Amino acid sequence: MSDAIKPDITMDLKGMACPMPVVKVSQQIKKMQIGQVLAAETTDPGAYADFPAWAKSTGNEIISTDKKENVTTFYIKKIK
Amino acid sequence: MEKEKIQELKSILKSRLNRPLRYYTDTCTRCGICYDSCHAFYGIPKKEYSPVGRAEVVRKLLKKYTRPSGFLFPYWGDAMKLGDAVLDQVFEAAWSCTGCRRCMVNCPFGIDTGQIMGVAKHLLIENGTAPEELIMLADAAVEKGKSIDQFKEGYKQVIHDLEKEVQKKLNLPSPDGLIPMEKQGADILYVGLAGAHSIVNPAIIFNAAKANWTLSFFEAVNFGFFAGDPDKTNFIAQRIIKEAMALNVKEVVIVECGTAFRILRALMGKLPFRVSSIVEVIHRYVEEGKVKLNKNSVSEPVTYHDPCQLGRNGGVFEEPRAVIRKIVSDYREMSPTREQNWCCGGGGGLVALDNEDFRIKTGKAKKDQIVATGAKIVVTACENCVSQLKTIKGGYGLDIEVKYLSELVCENLAIQSSE
Ligand code: SF4
Ligand code: SF4
Repeated sequence: MSDAIKPDITMDLKGMACPMPVVKVSQQIKKMQIGQVLAAETTDPGAYADFPAWAKSTGNEIISTDKKENVTTFYIKKIK
Repeated sequence: MEKEKIQELKSILKSRLNRPLRYYTDTCTRCGICYDSCHAFYGIPKKEYSPVGRAEVVRKLLKKYTRPSGFLFPYWGDAMKLGDAVLDQVFEAAWSCTGCRRCMVNCPFGIDTGQIMGVAKHLLIENGTAPEELIMLADAAVEKGKSIDQFKEGYKQVIHDLEKEVQKKLNLPSPDGLIPMEKQGADILYVGLAGAHSIVNPAIIFNAAKANWTLSFFEAVNFGFFAGDPDKTNFIAQRIIKEAMALNVKEVVIVECGTAFRILRALMGKLPFRVSSIVEVIHRYVEEGKVKLNKNSVSEPVTYHDPCQLGRNGGVFEEPRAVIRKIVSDYREMSPTREQNWCCGGGGGLVALDNEDFRIKTGKAKKDQIVATGAKIVVTACENCVSQLKTIKGGYGLDIEVKYLSELVCENLAIQSSE
């Protein structure tokens, strides 16, 4: 599925300490245009709840997730 | 500044003026003893980064808006008027303080500048000028609390994958159930963080000790507290309290995160379960012989950094040292230590902000302490401290390794056979 998604930006958040993955994603999405897609690569299991909760509270959308071994890529579309 | 906004800020000042704060406001003699106890002032010797200097901004506002003299004689003395420029000073004061309370330990009157900065942070929340990173993190944590049922399945799935790492480390026949979730009647609810290390290492330790435990769906850290928002602090902490009560656990064990530990242990009132740090639990298991360590297996010099909220403000000093001493043959204490240990400069939410240069400068006291020990490994027990110690390491080019206590323990576990 996600092979078809062409992210505008890809961020490597692997191994970052709490709370940097969510902080970095939030800072990056602010710089992007509405409709653009950010691919956030993380090794944090907590991201499975933290990223969707962040997306919900900021009004952005996780359009797909892709897990390869212990790395998960969240594709986040900037909605507002 | 609009009249309405000033009214709102005035009501915050009034609502926060409890007995301790009144005492702190009235008692300070400006003796200046606290200057040298603050790592921020040590790194950047400017008055506004001293405890008394930063507290003075809030003290003047309290004087102006909560005392009859401030109202009757507004132009007398040093009372300060609310406005954008003053709130900029409030921001500078609050967001350069880690709330480490080293100044309080050294003040002859025990004045808690960290608590005074709590008022400063509350004013900034109300004014809409608190750091947006922390507000965003607090909002996401609140949202997670409200919608947790939607996220449970995905989270459980990825936690299931981590069980293989626990199985491998302990040479166990099957990974199933090594990281239990939603286990009714477990003795322990363990609350970790987002990162795998905060779950896998404690899971290895719980399994080695054959503990009856279960993993929380929530992260222990409380961004409402860091942001200075009392309502969100309470909501975020209540997520864990409710989960623990629903599962009927006897003990809630908090990950290596000093603030999370202090909030649940000391700031949420009487709870129907015991609250412990994972550091205390590791020590308990080692003392009871449930977890066995390879004695003297690390020969490089090792030191321990006391996270302020776990040590000075939480009283957990001896347990981590007792565990480390079992593993390492060359343990070196920092000087000064325990209650007087220097803050690393990353606490209070500062580590999440875009302020690396400031944190390197204000981490100088910690850097000097570490260098003086000659240690090659710095062990600590707080996620914030680990991040900041790594920033200090990079900023000053230190030849050290920074490790979590749980990591050191897992690397040096004496693994028993699975039979
Ligand atoms: S040491 Fe205490 S009394 Fe002295 S200036 Fe600092 S806060 Fe005030
Ligand atoms: S609490 Fe720590 S950072 Fe804040 S003023 Fe006191 S010594 Fe400085």
